[in-house]
Amino acid sequence: MFVHLFKLIWNKKKQNSLLIVEMFISFLVMFAVLTMLVYSYKNFRQPVGFDYNDVWVISFSPPEKLNDAISVSLFQDALKKTLFSMPQIKAVSFSGSNVPFSMNTSNSRINYGKTKSVMTNFYDAEESFPAVMNMQMVEGRWYNKADDAAKYRPVVINRKLKEELFGNENAVGKLIGEENYEQGKAENRFKVMGVVENAKDKGSYQAIENGIYVKMDSNALRWAGTMVIKVKPGTDASFESKLFKTVSNAVGTSVEIEHLDKKLVSKNKVLLVPMIIAAVVAGFLIINVALGLFGVLWYNINKRKGEIGLRRAVGATGNNVSAQLVGEALVLATIALIIGLFFAVQFPLMNVFDLPANTYLTAIGLAVIFIYILVIICALYPGKQAAGIYPAVALHEE
Amino acid sequence: MLKNYFKIAIAVLKRRKFFTFISLFGISFTLTILIVLTAFVDNVTSANYPETNRDRSLYITSLQQKNVKQFSQRTGPASFYYLNHYVSTLKTPDKVAIASFFMPTNTYVNNKKLVINLKYTNDAFWDVMEYDFIEGKPYSLQQINNSEKVAVITENTKSDYFGDVPNVVGKYIEADNVQYRVCGVVKSVPVIMPISYADLYVPYTVSKTDYKHHDLMGNYTAVILAKSKSDLPKIKAEYASVASKIKPDAGFDKLTTTAAPYLASFLSSTPLGDPETGKVGKLVFIVSIFVLLFMLLPTLNLININISRIMERSSEIGVRKAFGASGITLVGQFIVENIILTFLGAVIGIVLSLIILQVINNSNLIANMHLSINLTVLFFSLIACLVFGLLSGVYPAWRMSKLQVVTALKAQ
Repeated sequence: MFVHLFKLIWNKKKQNSLLIVEMFISFLVMFAVLTMLVYSYKNFRQPVGFDYNDVWVISFSPPEKLNDAISVSLFQDALKKTLFSMPQIKAVSFSGSNVPFSMNTSNSRINYGKTKSVMTNFYDAEESFPAVMNMQMVEGRWYNKADDAAKYRPVVINRKLKEELFGNENAVGKLIGEENYEQGKAENRFKVMGVVENAKDKGSYQAIENGIYVKMDSNALRWAGTMVIKVKPGTDASFESKLFKTVSNAVGTSVEIEHLDKKLVSKNKVLLVPMIIAAVVAGFLIINVALGLFGVLWYNINKRKGEIGLRRAVGATGNNVSAQLVGEALVLATIALIIGLFFAVQFPLMNVFDLPANTYLTAIGLAVIFIYILVIICALYPGKQAAGIYPAVALHEE
Repeated sequence: MLKNYFKIAIAVLKRRKFFTFISLFGISFTLTILIVLTAFVDNVTSANYPETNRDRSLYITSLQQKNVKQFSQRTGPASFYYLNHYVSTLKTPDKVAIASFFMPTNTYVNNKKLVINLKYTNDAFWDVMEYDFIEGKPYSLQQINNSEKVAVITENTKSDYFGDVPNVVGKYIEADNVQYRVCGVVKSVPVIMPISYADLYVPYTVSKTDYKHHDLMGNYTAVILAKSKSDLPKIKAEYASVASKIKPDAGFDKLTTTAAPYLASFLSSTPLGDPETGKVGKLVFIVSIFVLLFMLLPTLNLININISRIMERSSEIGVRKAFGASGITLVGQFIVENIILTFLGAVIGIVLSLIILQVINNSNLIANMHLSINLTVLFFSLIACLVFGLLSGVYPAWRMSKLQVVTALKAQ
């Protein structure tokens, strides 16, 4: 049966080659769009890992008059004291500017031993940071004041980084380092105090990335212009206006207060809008292709009335005829898909864009199913029409 | 002859309405998407309100400092000192506008929070940019030198902060915990124009951060306005020679910066641009590849349909060939017919895109952005249309012209 269908297609290879190219490109378009959708959906299913409700971000330019570590800590202690005097504020931490859902990122390579080296997000954070974000420890503990005197800077890593660097080993107490550009070799600078649950802090549809939380030293604190605070639920704008005045008077420079939940909405928008546009455009392209395919198949069947009439006359049922036409379309689709698969499979094999292989494979699977369904839908109606051809009428025309 | 082709084309279109629909749907939809995209790109890149002088302006939006030995680099906007000291003093330009990037801050009215984007500017900013003043006027050099707390606000800020009142000049607006006296109200600017967008414009002298420090990096951008377009290369050269003598900040040994036209100045610090020359060739190349790929699928679709339609007309072709029409004449006829079809699709496409642009403008997807079809957009979409028509017409026409007279006539 298949050999027979294949022979029929081979006889009209010129006509069919364009159809195959069209299906092949449609497959690639669907593969690209579905990869994006599958990837985003998988990320969306991951837990957030921290609580962003009622967390506010205060950003300001650090005052210039602070010249040494002592005046910095005096200024910051006074600021924190003022904040804690407000009953609505539950926890406060200075942080780097790459707070959750912001457009800022800060990353670098981190090394363990001689062989392991991975790209990691660096977060400057104080000891009160997990209390503000409500983050859960997996093992060990968060760093605290007592670690200041230690030889290595205390850090906490997230679960993903722990798995990449240490696998099943215990991470607590291990030394890790950054590459030193001047000497061209790794240097151990950090000591892992604990492992924290992954935080999905780049947006709802973004992947979880490696993260390392570094205790802020006096230099980091000098240039810190970002604070995260946890407020009591239901705190309103009138309190925020009071807080704004207080902070503005205390730091003397420009201040902005943002809410993490609102930052998440706008961050998601930045990602969702292009994705929706791409999906709509792809949708229209596919409708276009479907209509074209439908038209061409329909036309071809009209031209083959004589052949179909003859088959009916020698005993083929309507269903046989219709099955043959749908089968031919499916063989065409299969040829296109085999070519398409050859290209699509390169993506997981060569690890393009660093996406996990199973995302690509799911997308390939869905795209294959999609193309088959599309082809079946486009071939069914012409097939059914062909089944309704009466041999007498068809043969009479010749 | 063209009139005849036209008549035939219309007759053919009427014969198989379903195929005509598919063809027109594909063409008009493809063009609609291209037109909407071009309208957007055109809106971002061309000289719209208030940056109407873009054709004789050069922008300095970022500096790049490198440490060659350590492979470290820092890229970002310049400091006020740098721009005021090295750029304002250039001899060739007419005027140099210096303004900070907009900085978000908050204000609270009636227990409601407003996000106000602040921009610190010098006085030339108001001459280089052509803002429409609805009331009042910009602050003067005198007021800047006196560090007066005066502000120019936008129409949107006026209605958000003061509500529906006729006149606000002279009234006070609180932002970033400071009371500013309003001296002018301008028409709002969309956020996609980061050099001129803000909600509240104030003199740089009232900035809360130190604008006098001598580091090269800061938060300011400059727009250099030339006396005429022909001065631009001279200004570029003068700036390049000044910049080559500037000593980089401590820890760096190389400073790269160019005064470039609007788009190039933003791309220069990304992989798409070239910080040394400020060319945008790479971006143009990538965009053309993308457009070609995007048009490939509808074109293939159209080719497929055209082949089917053409074979239907084999008897007509056979007769014409038998009476001596050459292959080239037939190919020409078919391509003209196809271009007529594409132009019909283009008209539908333009109507569709007008509707879509209207919807986008009304939805306030980007506040204050007004997309429209102007002559440039129309020109590019007509070119796209012509390419589309040729691409999808040539192959089927060639197939048709190869048809043997005998087979063509026998088919019926």
